[in-house]
Amino acid sequence: MTAVEPRPQTSEVRPSKRTEVLENRPVNLDGFVEEWPEKGLVAMESDFDPQPSVRVEDGRIVELDGRTRDRFDFMDTFIADHAIDVDTCEAAMATPSVEIARMLVDPRASRADVVALGRGLTPAKILDVVKLMNVVEIMMGIQKTRSRRTPANQAHSTSAKDNPIQVAADAAEGAVRGFAELETTLGVVRYAPLVAIGLQVGGQVGRGGVLTQCALEEATELDLGMRGITAYAETISIYGTESVFVDGDDTPWSKAFLASAYASRGIKMRFTSGTGSEVQMGNAEGRSMLYLEIRCILMAKGAGVQGLQNGSISCIGVPGAVPGGIRAVAAENLVASWMDLECASGNDQSFSHSAMRRTSRLLPQMLPGTDFVCSGYSAVPNKDNMFAGSNLDTEDYDDWNTIQRDMQVDGGLRHVREDVILQVRNKAARALQAVFAELDLPAITDEEVEAATYADSSDDYPDRDVLADLEGARSVMERGVTGLDLVKALERSGFGDVAENYLQVLRQRVSGDLLQTAAIFTGDFVPLAAINDANDYAGPGTGYRLTGERWEQLKKLRHVTSAENPEEEVV
Amino acid sequence: MTTATGTRTLSLRETGPAERGTRPEEVVIALSPAFGDPFTKTIVDVPHAEVIRQLLAGVEEQGGVARLIKVYRTADLAAIAHFGAKLSGSGIAVGILARGTTVIHQRDLARLSNLELFPQAPLLDAEVFRMIGANAAQYAQSRSPRPVPTRNDQMARPRWQAKAALLHLKEFECIDHARAAVEVEPVITRVD
Repeated sequence: MTAVEPRPQTSEVRPSKRTEVLENRPVNLDGFVEEWPEKGLVAMESDFDPQPSVRVEDGRIVELDGRTRDRFDFMDTFIADHAIDVDTCEAAMATPSVEIARMLVDPRASRADVVALGRGLTPAKILDVVKLMNVVEIMMGIQKTRSRRTPANQAHSTSAKDNPIQVAADAAEGAVRGFAELETTLGVVRYAPLVAIGLQVGGQVGRGGVLTQCALEEATELDLGMRGITAYAETISIYGTESVFVDGDDTPWSKAFLASAYASRGIKMRFTSGTGSEVQMGNAEGRSMLYLEIRCILMAKGAGVQGLQNGSISCIGVPGAVPGGIRAVAAENLVASWMDLECASGNDQSFSHSAMRRTSRLLPQMLPGTDFVCSGYSAVPNKDNMFAGSNLDTEDYDDWNTIQRDMQVDGGLRHVREDVILQVRNKAARALQAVFAELDLPAITDEEVEAATYADSSDDYPDRDVLADLEGARSVMERGVTGLDLVKALERSGFGDVAENYLQVLRQRVSGDLLQTAAIFTGDFVPLAAINDANDYAGPGTGYRLTGERWEQLKKLRHVTSAENPEEEVV
Repeated sequence: MTTATGTRTLSLRETGPAERGTRPEEVVIALSPAFGDPFTKTIVDVPHAEVIRQLLAGVEEQGGVARLIKVYRTADLAAIAHFGAKLSGSGIAVGILARGTTVIHQRDLARLSNLELFPQAPLLDAEVFRMIGANAAQYAQSRSPRPVPTRNDQMARPRWQAKAALLHLKEFECIDHARAAVEVEPVITRVD
């Protein structure tokens, strides 16, 4: 049975023709379940969540949300010792929740003040605050608390055949369309080095300064980062209960240690968490999905990472199936932003069969803007998406651009003329061809370059000799190939501009600019982060506004009738 | 424990404690706590009677023999299958959860490893269960079958992820730490 097969008819009653029409709507292919709060199958309103409380003795938190320190699990301990400001927490906790919720919404309350207040709150108190907020108020809060002023977007660039040429060409197209970060992952894990190289080279062809990552098991992901083959890391998962953490042979301290390994090399990284993961694994310990996610957010904060990918992520089918689930997902993005973390806000996994539901799930992040509206917009057709499909894919590019234009909202992308796209795809494939030749990796043929220029999916490429590629991938790791070797290969083979872009990305590790919260690069390699592009939203007329040159870019679509000559279209 | 499944019913008749087998070619089929009772069908409504029928037919068509056990102390698929493998005369077991998630395991592998894993229960139909049975029988005879082709459906998440979570929680509720695994005999009856 596949997910697009209609439901078997169960009723004995003859349905009306209208019911037949409704039964056949895509939304009825989605799964919905009743809440079961005792087991944590509930979005954010549960009688089984703890009541907020805090008590400090001798400069140490000795009670957190109704539990005394002797009854703390390791999440409580980590949060109490590393995430909550002991000096301010008793005063912060005494502030009525409704007052804090109003501060999040009211433009006259500054971001700095509400962030400072947030540093003294416990998970249950934070939950108590956001439970008072409806979706529009949550969006108001995101608009104010997101850390970077300029919104951005992130793409998935993967291949069902792990074809590095496809990944390079789609990375180049994604970069030129506007994605600030590109990530990949694999079907066959051993292919990783070649695909990560394809992503990096293609990305730097599309637009200098695009950041790339390759999602793998943690040791290899770190290795590729340290070698400079990738530029950031994101898939470091954390969980809201001790039992789920332990199931994965991890603790908050082991994750914090891994985070510091990245920081030691100047590599940007963020954690990943999201509503629904604990109940999905059967260990929610009777807490609501959002309560557990708030614990994750505070754990991330306590570990000192600059950011978090959240918004349910790969468990989106769980909050998506319960009442108020997508409100909870918006609320978790708000809390991550409010806790002063970079928020890569989901919209990155297949969510619904219904185009209307896919869009409505997207708007709470797209309209207020987040640090990354999608933490994985599929820049390949979903069938090539090795993250198991995204809420948006290449087929949605023109819809996305149109929504940006309709709403005058910057979702990080733009329409790009066909000749430009073909040019960067072709150049990315040629650059990778040259790098492979320089490094004695299995040759990329001119036929493959031609295919990459015009392709849509992996079906449009000649098949690679997979065994030879895997041997090449192994040799990349064994020979200790680094980012600098790739820069040299690009330089030697006549792609000096791409080499220069790549070198600039590597140089930032030394300056450490990418360790600042929510850091990305402009096309001129100027880091944009919370420190130099701080969100200054303070009500109408302030904060990021889509105006000027950028707005002119976003007015362009594939087909717009010229006002000057209605017989022609604007190019 | 009799449950109606449309045209066939499955009842699992207890025949005694689950013990180590001696037949060198046997396949143990290890069922989870909620399999057959209280649940009667997989996440996509494949009747448990049909699942068992196909698994047994698959084993049989490869000239193998199968033995069924039911486990009560865990709902962890890897643990169920590995437990079954340790009781199997050949060291090969098929573990299966009530919602349909299935694995072929081998005694000497680490618990979290496996010979073949079928994690997407919504994609498992009668035909796949038959192939799983056939492959398990071949492993039990020290042959090297081609793995059952894996299926992938990126829209399985929106349709079934939450129901899978719910079924997982329900299966957990059926865990009985006090109850040792038993050998069961499947009785499949046509009721039409």
